[in-house]
Amino acid sequence: MKKMIVVVICSIFICLSVCLSYKIVLAGDDDEGGGPILFTKPVKAVLFDHKTHLGFGYSCEDCHDKLFEEAKGTAEEKGDFTMKSLYAGKYCGACHNGETAFASNTKCAVCHIGVKGMNRLTKTGKK
Amino acid sequence: MKIEEIEKLKNEGVEHLPSKERRDFLRLGLVVTGVFAGGSILSLMSAKRGHADVEGIVLKQYSYKPHYSMVIRQDRCIDCQRCMDACVKTNHVPDYGYRTTILERELVIGPGSKQREFMPVLCNHCNRPPCVRVCPTRATYKDKKTGIVRMDIKKCIGCKTCMAACPYNARYFNEEIRAIDKCDFCWENRLSKGETLTACAAACPADVRIFGDISDPSSRVYKLVHEPERVVWVLRPETGTLPNVFYTKG
Ligand code: SF4
Ligand code: SF4
Ligand code: SF4
Repeated sequence: MKKMIVVVICSIFICLSVCLSYKIVLAGDDDEGGGPILFTKPVKAVLFDHKTHLGFGYSCEDCHDKLFEEAKGTAEEKGDFTMKSLYAGKYCGACHNGETAFASNTKCAVCHIGVKGMNRLTKTGKK
Repeated sequence: MKIEEIEKLKNEGVEHLPSKERRDFLRLGLVVTGVFAGGSILSLMSAKRGHADVEGIVLKQYSYKPHYSMVIRQDRCIDCQRCMDACVKTNHVPDYGYRTTILERELVIGPGSKQREFMPVLCNHCNRPPCVRVCPTRATYKDKKTGIVRMDIKKCIGCKTCMAACPYNARYFNEEIRAIDKCDFCWENRLSKGETLTACAAACPADVRIFGDISDPSSRVYKLVHEPERVVWVLRPETGTLPNVFYTKG
């Protein structure tokens, strides 16, 4: 009987964690305003949150399609999606220039969540 | 080592610091400018400016030639782990082991507002290495020429005494070679073959790990550590190990 309870609790837990990770990873397509975007190239990993940026009063058109195409992953496929481009005012750097928003060459770990952050988001349960 | 232990960054003053510890750092060309987190972090500054603080002490030369050292510009680290990958590849580190790793912490910077921070750690190639002192077979030793703390794996009996003695958790037991393995500043696989940078320093896209000869005034490490006004610190100075890995911001 005890065993049974343990099994049930375990499976509930596993279901929950699977659902959670599923939600986070797939949120990008369903959530209003795009959901969180995880960039893994050229370095692991940068988290961009649509919601936060919409909260600052920006609209979709402010960035799409001038700075970023709407389809997920297109920026990462381009060779110039680098910090150097950002410093030159491309991509995130259009606003993250020290005037509109904090400059791209400061506060690195605000956007860079690293491999640890990436693992937390994509492989729930792994450190 | 837990990163939480070293996160209370409030200067507790240097009044209670034993003068011996001050002198030890002064010998390295550094003066102590602050104590943080109950003494686990000392902040240091080039002795040029602070020289007058402690009179009657003559600066000695750096002990080795070259005197290898690393300066870690901590706030630039983004935990991309390219350094770790490069180290694993270069030095054949198994997946359960590590020669370097990245610690993570969250700083509270205001009400409801947090800031992530990453911190690379590796062997400090201590000037007074407890690991060397405790090794019964002298398998681990401090290289007389370069100051690098190295392993002679043939002599290692796997007793793990050094692992327990290292205050920085910088060693692991390698099952394949049945010996302790640790960072050797890439001596075996790079420096001894003529490379000037360690694998981790060469791989870092954010220029976090600055490696070089701190006895050479034209080197980047020397310049960073001796820049007036720049605050540099070492980890767990209270253990008296005199690390050769320095931390700074910016
Ligand atoms: S490669 Fe550089 S930025 Fe990336 S984790 Fe290592 S030290 Fe940090
Ligand atoms: S950091 Fe640890 S392993 Fe490295 S020299 Fe110091 S005591 Fe030895
Ligand atoms: S110096 Fe070499 S052995 Fe040491 S952590 Fe860096 S890559 Fe690894």
